[in-house]
Amino acid sequence: MIGLPAVLLVSAALFALGVYGVLSRKNAIGLLVAVELMANAVNINLVAFSNHWGGVAGQVFALFTIALTVAEVAVGLAIIILLYRAHKAVEVDEAAEMSG
Amino acid sequence: MDKLLLAEAIVLSPLAAAVVLLVIAPLRRNHAISASVTILATTVSLVSALLLALDFTGNPDLAPVQQQWPWLPAGGHIMATVGVYVDAISAPMLVVVSLVALCVQVYSVGYLGHEPSNDRGRYFAYHALFAFSMLGLVIAPNLLQLFLCWELVGLASYLLIGYYWTKPSAGRAALKAFWVTKFADMGLMLGLMVLYVKTGGFDWTVTPASTLQTIDHEWIAGLLLMAVVGKSAQFPLHVWLPDAMEGPTPVSALLHAATMVAAGVYLIVRSYPIFEGAPTVLTIMAWLGGGTALYAATVAVFQDDIKKVLAFSTCSQLGYMVAALGSGTLVAGYFHLTTHAFFKALLFLGAGSVIHAVHSNNLHDMGGLMRKMKPTAAMFIIGSLALAGFPMLSGFFSKDLILEELLHAGHIVPLACCVLAAGLTAFYMTRVVMMAFFGEPSQASDHAHESPAVMLAPMALLAVLSLVAGLLMGDFVALKDGYAGFHITALGMTVSAIGIAAIGAGIWRFGPSRRATPLGGPATIFAGLVAKAPVDQTFELFYRRVLDRVSAAAGWFDRYVMDGLVNLAGYAVLVAAAKLRKLQTGNVGDYVYAIVGGLIVLTAFGVFGGN
Repeated sequence: MIGLPAVLLVSAALFALGVYGVLSRKNAIGLLVAVELMANAVNINLVAFSNHWGGVAGQVFALFTIALTVAEVAVGLAIIILLYRAHKAVEVDEAAEMSG
Repeated sequence: MDKLLLAEAIVLSPLAAAVVLLVIAPLRRNHAISASVTILATTVSLVSALLLALDFTGNPDLAPVQQQWPWLPAGGHIMATVGVYVDAISAPMLVVVSLVALCVQVYSVGYLGHEPSNDRGRYFAYHALFAFSMLGLVIAPNLLQLFLCWELVGLASYLLIGYYWTKPSAGRAALKAFWVTKFADMGLMLGLMVLYVKTGGFDWTVTPASTLQTIDHEWIAGLLLMAVVGKSAQFPLHVWLPDAMEGPTPVSALLHAATMVAAGVYLIVRSYPIFEGAPTVLTIMAWLGGGTALYAATVAVFQDDIKKVLAFSTCSQLGYMVAALGSGTLVAGYFHLTTHAFFKALLFLGAGSVIHAVHSNNLHDMGGLMRKMKPTAAMFIIGSLALAGFPMLSGFFSKDLILEELLHAGHIVPLACCVLAAGLTAFYMTRVVMMAFFGEPSQASDHAHESPAVMLAPMALLAVLSLVAGLLMGDFVALKDGYAGFHITALGMTVSAIGIAAIGAGIWRFGPSRRATPLGGPATIFAGLVAKAPVDQTFELFYRRVLDRVSAAAGWFDRYVMDGLVNLAGYAVLVAAAKLRKLQTGNVGDYVYAIVGGLIVLTAFGVFGGN
């Protein structure tokens, strides 16, 4: 039986990886993947605490988050397609017309 | 029949007529429909008012017929009510107003017979509006509703003075009337505010007496008096009334002689419990009324425009009423209000009939009309005699009562003014009668013809009332503080004698044997001194010198200080925005850094920050 701290460490590592990805990638798809990583780190936390305290609330929330992330990815991909049509590129720093 | 229903019908029928005519344009454009609707509505009011008023005749303590609906809910309690309130004070006034209004409306059908249908329709719609406002004013259960209707009659007056709107002078006169009375109305508004602050309501019955000190009475009464001075054309705010003669003559008869200008006097009568506790204001009223009576009568002698003579005469007679109310009792002033309404309306309708015939207001264009227009002349003479206080006619009784009250109250100077004014009244009315109906006919009067029956019939009714109202109305308006009934005093006879002497002097000076000539010599200089012009000039001076400068200063302050502050605030926002907009780079990476940075700050705050 793996203890709770170990699982939380994995989750924290995954989250940090996601943050690093978000900060370093310019590719929009890469950004999306990094965001997914952070979301899954949260899911691991939810499930781990659910197992630790007993009860299903955490698992239900994890399922809920997964469903929500799917929707988010769908919207994100749609935006990326539009971005590509407009700029012939998926690098986000190409699209900076909204500067003040 | 249900009395409450009658009381409501008095105001609601003209309201319905006004709303229907003002909202549905095709009805208003048709003069026949507009006139019939208005006259029908006023007839309903008159019949209802008569039925109610008969109960109060000689029975002033009868419980009032009243109904009030809550209005203006304010912080959990009702701030004011609207409704109807018919008691011994309002009942006679309701009859007078609806009766004179009906006479004038019927008369107008003939007087405006040559006007375009569209204009006539509009005219009657305004008349319906006026009837509603005036009756609503009289029937008001509290001073707030009275104030509201007070402003509405001002509006109706403005609209009707400006009836000949293509004439620039009519437009100016309408505006002047509005401007002057609005200025005075500030007093009414402020008075009501003080009243509300002190008593928590708008009732004229001030109870208990302890809540209101004498000084409060003085303040409220003084402020109300300011509005009265404007509406009832007392010196020095009388300047709008002679100019208001630009309106059609029936309008002058109804609004600017019989009813609307009397609203000021009615306000004093209605809120007499407030005035009674204010001895200083009462004394001011006696002096102001007496002074106006004498001043306006003097000016009237020198007018060549028949309507202006009557207008100044109205100022003068309203002065009598104010003076009478200043003597500390109600009944004399109120009695004179009712009798004056009849004979002054009659005189104006008579003047209208003459103007209709010769197409001129100028007395010099008339002359010798007696032969052409016997009924008009006879009725005009009846009105003149009633106004002059000829024994046994209506003016005799009411004027006599006023002088008696002034003597009783010990106001000797106002009394002297009123006695002198009584002589002048007889003199200038004789002058008008002589110049218009006797003497050599002018060119215009050769073509004159008698007015149609639709104009003569209302005049006949008013003539009968001018003859007998003095005998009848005494009991009709008998109020609690007593009317001595039919009686003749030495003072009254003296004044009558002065009046008859003045009539004789008038006949001698302007009689048939002499062609009407202007008064010359010293009289001309005197005329210049007392005429309306100096008062107008004083106002103009005040307006140009003082008011304009104050306005300019206020304008400068507004333009450079207030606007400067506002512009400064706007400029600051612009400068700040120019700097802050740089934060929005449009680069997604920067935003992500901001989010992560924010996340770190929040986490640090959660871990290390305080609890």
